[in-house]
Order: sequence, then structure tokens, then C-alpha cells
Amino acid sequence: MKPAYEKPVIKKLHNGLMNKFGYSPAYARKVRTDIDGVPVADLVEKFGSPLFVYSERILRQKYRQMHTAFSTRYPNVVFGWSYKTNYLNAICALMHQQGSIAEVVSGMEYEKARALGVPGENIIFNGPHKAQAALETAVREGAMINVDHLDEIYALERVAQKLGRQLHVGLRLNLDAGVYPQWSRFGFNLESGQALEAAKRMKYGGKLVLSGLHCHLGTFIMDAGAYARQVEKMVAFGCELEKAFGYSIEYLDIGGGFPSKSRLKGVYLPPEVALPAIDEYAEAIAQALTKALRPGDFPKLILESGRALVDEAGFLITTITATKRLPDGTRAYVADAGVNLLFTANWFKFNIEMDREVGGVNEQSVIYGPLCMNIDVVDESVLLPPLSCGMRLTVSPVGAYNHTQSLQFIEYRPASVLIGERGEVDLIREAEDLADITRRERMPKRFAQEEVG
Amino acid sequence: MHKLSRLAINEEGFVFNPTTGDSFQVSETGLVILGKLRDGHSDEAIAQALAEKYEVSLEDAQRDVADFRASLKNLNLI
Amino acid sequence: MDELYIGVSGINAIDNPGPGIGVARSLKEDPDLAVNIVGLAYDAMEPGIYMDWVVDKSFILPYPSGAGEAFVERLLFIKRNHGLDVVIPNLDAELPLYIKHAAMLADHGILTFLPSMEQFRLRGKDRLLDIASKISISLPCTKIVNSLDGLLQALKEVGLPAMVKGSFYKAYKCHTVAEAVSHYHDLVAEWGYPIIVQQVVTGDEMNIVGLGDGEGNSLGLVGIKKLSVTALGKIWTGVTVKNQKMLAAVAGFIREFKWRGPFELECMVNGEEVFLIEINPRFPAWSYFATGVGLNLPSRLVRRCLGLPVPPVPDYDAGKLFIRYTYELVTDMANFQKAVTRGEAP
Repeated sequence: MKPAYEKPVIKKLHNGLMNKFGYSPAYARKVRTDIDGVPVADLVEKFGSPLFVYSERILRQKYRQMHTAFSTRYPNVVFGWSYKTNYLNAICALMHQQGSIAEVVSGMEYEKARALGVPGENIIFNGPHKAQAALETAVREGAMINVDHLDEIYALERVAQKLGRQLHVGLRLNLDAGVYPQWSRFGFNLESGQALEAAKRMKYGGKLVLSGLHCHLGTFIMDAGAYARQVEKMVAFGCELEKAFGYSIEYLDIGGGFPSKSRLKGVYLPPEVALPAIDEYAEAIAQALTKALRPGDFPKLILESGRALVDEAGFLITTITATKRLPDGTRAYVADAGVNLLFTANWFKFNIEMDREVGGVNEQSVIYGPLCMNIDVVDESVLLPPLSCGMRLTVSPVGAYNHTQSLQFIEYRPASVLIGERGEVDLIREAEDLADITRRERMPKRFAQEEVG
Repeated sequence: MHKLSRLAINEEGFVFNPTTGDSFQVSETGLVILGKLRDGHSDEAIAQALAEKYEVSLEDAQRDVADFRASLKNLNLI
Repeated sequence: MDELYIGVSGINAIDNPGPGIGVARSLKEDPDLAVNIVGLAYDAMEPGIYMDWVVDKSFILPYPSGAGEAFVERLLFIKRNHGLDVVIPNLDAELPLYIKHAAMLADHGILTFLPSMEQFRLRGKDRLLDIASKISISLPCTKIVNSLDGLLQALKEVGLPAMVKGSFYKAYKCHTVAEAVSHYHDLVAEWGYPIIVQQVVTGDEMNIVGLGDGEGNSLGLVGIKKLSVTALGKIWTGVTVKNQKMLAAVAGFIREFKWRGPFELECMVNGEEVFLIEINPRFPAWSYFATGVGLNLPSRLVRRCLGLPVPPVPDYDAGKLFIRYTYELVTDMANFQKAVTRGEAP
């Protein structure tokens, strides 16, 4: 038999970049032939490419792991599934089956949760834009509402007036926990006294009863200590409210923002080394709570984790459709999935795995998506051996935000499948076709063309 | 081909250009192509030789030889 | 005694030198240890690879920024095929990886003497206030930033001039906002977030190299003052000092935090006031200075690591001079070729 073939490559050696492992086949090169035991080739054959693939095994494992981390350290823990992270119905249903309530940030998400059968009292309604009608429905159905701004206090008071009863609501805070930039555009600022003023205003109005505090520091927070500082400040503020206005704070919603093992661009070390484990977050939060709360007082601790639960359970299979050599000598590939499906490529450097072993020296390569736009880059610099057209790449972790933020710009959105714990593959969203793009369009009569033929 | 003949090439894939002082690393099949180019073989003949020696189709080999030649040109080696 | 294979990284003895050569040279000077120095390099052009009177054999390692498994696999490969009994990692960027895998490496017979991950995080530039307050020295106003907005805000609070520092390496004194922004971008591109913005304090730049035993005891300390530095702020000439306040603070640091392993504490001393600038959880590039005045810390580390007797801590004299100089070696391409194609040399 003839020896295996490797594509020919020649590279100039540059000072400071003469590290053989950058190019060596044994290192930095990743192959994935299956996801949870289901061959990548079979998945594509049956459902097409590109394809979003979710692992039920990883989803449940992540949930259990995180829930255990918190519930073994604090007696009153509730998870609110962050819909915006991934609101495919099957994913949400799985999260609810695990015991999560719903955390929504818009009227659309609220309706989605209701349509999935989640009762109003198991929905947390957050966000800067809650339309009056959505707000009224949410109130009627008993949802937990975290107030974002003063106009929402007015809006809720109008609802209370209409219903003729007092409403229990939560207050969203923004505060300095050492995380910058501070997300000061959401909620009421703690340190400046704005939050206290808001509570005073509620008390004065007499229609709203403040019974919860909410604060979401940001996203991909790599310092467990930030949550401890946040919790400390929230508890202290809760005590102040109880003393000043007689409110009783029944829940502390500390938001999400826990990182997944994804590689944020601009972080030098790999995520396994750079990121604290979820237990470290749980420990910091539980310790801060125990220290700050009165003995025997255990208000409900709500976590709105999204990314940390779903990101690593999501994969995107894409196919190489063209190979190019750029004028500067860089190897380039065109894949059938780009930033239309991988919005988070802006911030994260994905793990990119090939569907088979390929011989040859690694080259610094760029992967472009299918869009006819210069910004459509999946990875501007990835070490890959020379790939051929038709090869599949599995991109991960992509479970968080990529599906919900995917675009229909010039391409159809692909199918999504869920691999069950016994290896069964369920289609959870069909691939789109022209009807999905045009269904809502209406043609003025004067443009209607006569059928040709 | 003049430039190619001046290169110092070792069998482990290390290439040194005494004229410019540049060093290069080249893969096994790249070494084969470099050697044949130095001996004055045509691209077509080199592709055929690759296809005979290795597990690769003639079409892929032709494509790769052309691509490799482009790299050499880019590196100012031919 | 059997030959000991000791891995030393940071053998990049360039104008911004890594600590490796000073550490390796110290080990070679312990007359009771038969040391074979294994250079652990990241680039085929690291000078240590070619300094055969200090480094016996060198291996190229995959970058610590890649997958951790490849890194560990490479160390195990060296263990199997050459020998590796102890590793002294000398570069900030690789320390988290070594700390994380310390127990596993020890199971394979590769020993390290490093702080715990908790201790390592504690000396992070964003946590120095906790340390400074516990060992009663001052800290210049310090802000940790993760965005350009954060940088501008921090500059307002800290004032100009300000030091702008990378999370692993490099620090620039910036006199204008524009200068700070430009260095900020360079630092982010090279070393990522966060970026540290620090008030500039004046005084004498004094440093201490030390070794903690992990139980609150010191295995040796030497204090120096930098007399002249390079454009990158690296020591060029220095003198040993015994500043009691600084030495007491460092002893307190070892005691209070039960520091395990080598460290460098950088201070600014202004009369009675000692400012803590930075704590590096590894040997500094000038470690040979301590060896030269009678305190061979790398050898003491190896002895401690292997359970060999560690002699009592000797005293050192203030007023000894350290003079760095340049030197050239000429060699042919053979070792370079090997380092490039095989990843090891000679």
C-alpha cells in the first residue's frame, strides 16, 4: 500500500514563533468524529449542514452539577432558566423538567414560556422594556417582576390601580462589585442612593410592595469574589429596606453571568486554567450569604444561569465548501456557517474540530463564513493542517446565544437536533425554507406578476 | 529555478536560504516537490510522481503542486 | 549521588531576560548536587538552548496558552525519554498550569515546589490590597480594568503619570492619556485582560527574592536595590541592602500566608514608607545575585523538594554589587535545526 499523503507545506521561520508545536501534527490538532456517540457524518447525512446539535447528557449533567454546587451550600435555591440564552422549546422544556423556573426579558419570551405551559408564578420577568400590556398580563398571572426603572414603577402602579390591589415586585439594582464596565444602564444604582429613592417612591405610592432584590453584574464574570461582594451589598440593602420601610425581602435574585469553558478572545490562558470552577462561585456566594444574613434567615436565592448550563452542550457542524490561498500566503477556507449562526464569534475563540485525522504541517488559517460580507469570519487565526472541500468541522461550545441571535440574512437557518441520553436523535427545529422567509410578506396587487408559461 | 538551487535543504525538512538568511520548515511531500523542482521536472510530472508514490488522486496532487508553487513564489524562493 | 534532572524554564537570556539561566547556574554551583539542567523553551531561538555550559539539554514545549493536556504530555515525554525529577517554572504565564497539575505531575515523578492556586491568586495584581494591609506596608492606588472605558475612568482616579501594566508581563509609565491608551491596546493584544493601572510612587526601587517553605518559615531572603535599569525596567546594576522594614514585611508575608515556593517582592521605599508594587510567584531574573552572596535559593528549593538536608539560612552582607554584562557566542546551525525540526537540542 502507498504511504499516506499529506498536503505539501512550506513555512518561513519567524523569530519568536519558532515553536515546533505550533505546527506539529501531534499537538493543537483536534479530531471529533461523533457527538455523544452519534457520528458527525450520520448527523449531516440525515439533517444537512450546517447543523446545530445539543447534548441532553451534557445539559442535564451541567444542571445537576451546578444545582448541587449551590443547594448543598444554601438551603433555599431556585434556578431561573435564562430564555434568551437559548429558547428552543425542547431546551427550555428540558430545563423546566430539571426543576428550573423561567427567566424572561421580553413580552415575546414571556409568551413563549406561557405557551410551554409554565404558570405565571414560575416566571421571572426582567428587562428594560416591558410593554404595558405584557406587564399587565404578567401581573394578572402572578409573575415575579423585577422593576428596571422609574417609569416602570408608574406603569405597575397603573396596573395595581386597575386591579384594585397591592402588587409584590422586585427591584433591579446595579452596584459596584469590582466588575467593570459596571452595567449601570439596568436597574437602580445602589451606591448613589437611587435604589433607596425608588423604594421610598414605592412606599409613598402605597400600591407596590417591595419583596425581592435583583442584580445581574454582567456576563462571563471570571472572579468569584465579585458575586460575594454583590451578595453582601444586596443583603445589607435588604436590611436597610426592612428597617426603613418595613418591607420583607423574600428573594435575592443574583442573576447569572457565570462563564462556560469557552475561550474569551484576549484571555491568554486556556479556560480550564483561567476560570474558577462553579463550586468556587457557589462557595463564595454561600459564604457571603451566611456571613451577611441574620441566623436562621434564608431568603430564596435565585440564579439566572444560562451560559454556564447550555453553552458546552451546544455544537455546530459546518462543512468546508472552498479552500483558498490569500495574496499574503495565508490559507483560507469558506465554511457553510458563519457569523449568521455564530454571533458570539465576535467575542469567543471556538474549539474547532475536524471530522478525521489529516496529515501535514499545521498552518495558520482563517475560516470564513458563507456571507458575502467582509466581517463574516469564524476564526481569523486557527492552526489547521491543509483541509479539503467537503470536510466537516465541529465548532463548540456554541449552545449559548448563537441560536437565539442567529440571522436569516441571505441564508436559511439550519436544523437543530437534540441527542438524547440513550443516543436517540430528535429533530427539535426543522431547517428553514423560503416559506419561513416570505410568510409574513404581502405583495401589493400592482406588482403581482402574471405567471409565465 | 536558479534561486532553488542555492537553498540548503536537510532531510528533516529544514531549509536555509544562504542569500537572504531566511530559514524555512517544509513538510515531507513539500521536500519531494522541492527536490523535483530543483531537478527541473514540470508541475505535471511532479503531480504524477506524487500520485504514484502516495495515496492521492492526480487531480488533488495537481492542485497541491500548484498551491505549493504559489507558496514558493510568495516566499520569493522561485 | 545519582544525577538529578532539573527542568528550568525561562532560559531566554535576552534584553528582557527570563530567570532560567540564573536559576540553572545557581543549581550547577551546588557542589553536593549532580545536576543535569533540562532547558524548557518555547522558541528555538532562546539563548539558553545554545549555552551548553549551563543547560545540558533543551526541549521545546507547547505554549501554555494551548490545551493543558499537550503541555503535560510533553513533560511526561521528557520524563520518559530523558529524565525530569524536578521542574522550576520561571514564567508567570505557565505557573497556573503547573500549579493545577502539580499533584498529577508528582504522581509521575516530576516534583515542583509551588504555591497553591489560592496563594497564587492572592498575589494577583488585583488582590494586593489584602496582602498589603495584613503585612502593614502601603499600596499605591491600583485599579483593575477590562475595557477602554475602565482605563479612562481609572486614569481619572489614579492621576497622571500612571503605570499601565499587563496581566502577566510589562509595565509602562504613561504621562498622557494617549500614551496610556496606546500601551493599553498593545498589552491587551499580547497578554489579554485585565490591565492594571497604578499610581506612580517615588522612592528607591528595592526588591526581595525569597523562598517560603509552605509552613510559614523562610528558607532565605535577600534584599537588593536597583542602581540602574534597562529601558524595560530590568535591573542592570544593583546592590544588596538590609532595609529592616522591608525585610520584616516580607517575613510577615511568608508567615501570614504560609507561602510555598520562590517569590519576588517589588517595593518602592521612600524614607520610612514602603510601598508594595508587585509580588511575583517565582524566581526573579536576578536570582543569581542571591547565590553570589551566599544564598543559593534554587538549590535550597531542590533540596527541600527532594527531602534532602537544607543548610541553615546564612546571613548575607549589604553592599555587594551586581553587574550584568553582555556576552556573545557563535555556533553553527545544527542545534537550531534540531530545535526547529525535532523540538530538542543538542
